Amino acid sequence: MIGPVIALLLQAAPLEQPIPDETLEARAQAIMRETRCMVCENEPVSQSTADMAVDARRAIRRQVMEGATDDQIREFFVSRYGQHVSFRPPLDGWAILLWGFPFALVAVGLAMFGVKLVRNRPSGLAPLSDDRSGEGG
Amino acid sequence: MIIELGHLLAFLALGAAAAQSVLGLTSGGEAARRLAVAGAMFAALSLLTLIISFVRLDFSVELVAAHSHSQKPLLYRIAGAWGNHEGSMLLWCVIMAGYGAVAALTMREGKLRDRALGVQGLLTVGSFLYLLFVSSPFTRLVDPPFDGAGLNPLLQDPAVALHPPFLYLGYVGMSFVFSLAAAGLINGEIDRDWARRTRPWALGAWSCLTIGIALGAIWAYYELGWGGWWFWDPVENASFMPWLVSAALVHSLIVTEKRGGMASWTVFLAVLAFCLSLLGTFLVRSGVLTSVHAFAVDPARGTILLIGLGLAGGAALALFAWRAPQLKAGPEFDPVSREGALVLNNLFLSVSAALVLVGTVTPMVLQWLGEAQMIAPEAASMSIGEPYFQLTLAPMVAFLLLFMPLAQAAPWRKAEMTPLMKWLLPSAVIAVVAALIALAMGGWGVFLGFGVLVGVWVVAGVVQDILRRAGAGGWRRILKLPLTVWGMAIAHIGMGIFVIGATVETAARTEQTFPLAPGQSAEMAGWKFEFQGVTIVDGPNYIATRGDILATHDGRTELLQPEQRSYPVSEMGTTEVAIRKTLGGDVYVALGDQLRDQDNVWRIRIAHHPLIDWVFGGAALIAVGGFMSLAARLRRRAPANAEAATAPEAAAPQPGAPEAGVGASA
Repeated sequence: MIGPVIALLLQAAPLEQPIPDETLEARAQAIMRETRCMVCENEPVSQSTADMAVDARRAIRRQVMEGATDDQIREFFVSRYGQHVSFRPPLDGWAILLWGFPFALVAVGLAMFGVKLVRNRPSGLAPLSDDRSGEGG
Repeated sequence: MIIELGHLLAFLALGAAAAQSVLGLTSGGEAARRLAVAGAMFAALSLLTLIISFVRLDFSVELVAAHSHSQKPLLYRIAGAWGNHEGSMLLWCVIMAGYGAVAALTMREGKLRDRALGVQGLLTVGSFLYLLFVSSPFTRLVDPPFDGAGLNPLLQDPAVALHPPFLYLGYVGMSFVFSLAAAGLINGEIDRDWARRTRPWALGAWSCLTIGIALGAIWAYYELGWGGWWFWDPVENASFMPWLVSAALVHSLIVTEKRGGMASWTVFLAVLAFCLSLLGTFLVRSGVLTSVHAFAVDPARGTILLIGLGLAGGAALALFAWRAPQLKAGPEFDPVSREGALVLNNLFLSVSAALVLVGTVTPMVLQWLGEAQMIAPEAASMSIGEPYFQLTLAPMVAFLLLFMPLAQAAPWRKAEMTPLMKWLLPSAVIAVVAALIALAMGGWGVFLGFGVLVGVWVVAGVVQDILRRAGAGGWRRILKLPLTVWGMAIAHIGMGIFVIGATVETAARTEQTFPLAPGQSAEMAGWKFEFQGVTIVDGPNYIATRGDILATHDGRTELLQPEQRSYPVSEMGTTEVAIRKTLGGDVYVALGDQLRDQDNVWRIRIAHHPLIDWVFGGAALIAVGGFMSLAARLRRRAPANAEAATAPEAAAPQPGAPEAGVGASA
């Protein structure tokens, strides 16, 4: 898969042409937004005018047109430049913790809330409107 | 000699702050008060001498020589005073001393005021030490240059000239909230009165921070030339973390103020908000962001900031550990209640802050571990950007917004869920219909549908809540609703509008780069753009290449003129985009580079940013709402017992269950 793509990459077209099919172009642009321009300072290839970015955009469009999946295109860049090139952290190894911990925290919070609701729900409380919020117990 | 005077004034301010801290923490409250005011005046005058040096273009001052130039317009000469590290630290010190002075002049006499002034004095001392010994703006050059080096042209913009002052009013505003928290802990009094007196400071700082962040986003949108307003850059995240925590704080303070509950959590957030402000300053100012190397080259600033952060945070946490067990738990409440809803609000906001923190710091920690050869180089290079933050933060925001209308309408202590949901049915229907319409209009996916759903749900829910509070009184009653209610309503509507704008803009923006020669045209988003060529135009301190583009839409034609500016002094360029506002969003045209291999063919970048004004407008409404709540506090700074009399909305019972609210008889 990668061999022919590099060959296509080298055969540089003079201009950047968007993909005529709008859905494919949108997919390509989404990948451009999450691929780092390696020669710029914290910029994705979608924004940069650097040569590396122009080449990367072209490579992404070509691969999208050839029917590569998003994951395959990401892998193409990560295998050449390392994980640093992708603004999307991988979903494997310890990085699963990175993705998972916010949801785990929310789950713990909601579980504590649920336990209070089901097990320790205080009884005999009556609603209190705003003007009486200062009243105790 | 004026800058030497400024230098001396800064030392005087340092001395005043030191005396203020000692007296405030012991028994000299009245003297600490006077010193706070005097110290703030010294600090302000010191900044004034720096501004005068910038305006007068005194190039014998190192900072002026490095950051100004004779060709620079007056506004940017003034803003140049804080458009650099040293000057911005002086601004930081001035604002910190200023908060102390405002507190000294406005707060009710008592232990809380005196101790808070003492702690604020300590923080001010730390800031001035940092300013004077590692980032002094007062240095003279032995051999002054004939002209200055100029200000980074990207920063010569009104939005970004005002961005640091607002950001610092927010960041540093958290310092006084921190001081109040520490003072409350020292006194062992974190109670309803403490919360009532702390909340205005938190509201003010949080609203300023909102404006500061929004100004930065607006600037990024039109000045950087690619139309993005948020890129999850560590510099942006550095300001977003304290924003999230202080958003949680202004909500938990409500529970502490109204019910006396969540006291230890609230005081913890108050400490955390300022610690994250310091962490943000460390990230931005230490150079650690550009690379670990940059930090290692000049580690003094970063190290001292870290030590300061450690001292302030450590001391506060020690105080917290000492006093928290003695804090009284608030009165009991049912999970289904206003308190319960605000607990959930705090859960989602603080998890959001945690994920932004982890996502921002992880790549730096990995890089550092890699440099130290503690992990393999492949494992050390990771980027965490938009996909991560969007996928993890979006569900938090969605949850937050789903509960918002319920929280607004639920009574304290206990609420009945079923009638509440029935009452909110109209909002739910409107939200679902809006989401379906949005999904039908474009194939943009679930993300956008969900954003519109929760955004519209919140806006409709707030409107319903206002109508309910007005009851049968009609329009006249609506106008007479208390300012606190309006503040909440406007901030929440702003949040809804922001979320709708942000999701639609992110999901449905289109952008394309067209290589065009004069006479050629391109079509996009229902517009036709005819490129007519470029002309060279002279500006005050730059030379512009201006593109002329005839844009036609609905049979009407107008001229759009994006520019590329080049600043000879700093040898840098900027893009000035042409933006055509329409009801549905912005048409955004930027002039790119000339193609290298072809004569007179230019890259013209055209983008459509739907609902972009909703993003900035929503943020502005959030800040306005915050300021309105603050104004409400200032208007009734009466003794505690007068409060009940000034809450006319009280008459409105829980929606759907009229008898429940009245039946409260504790």
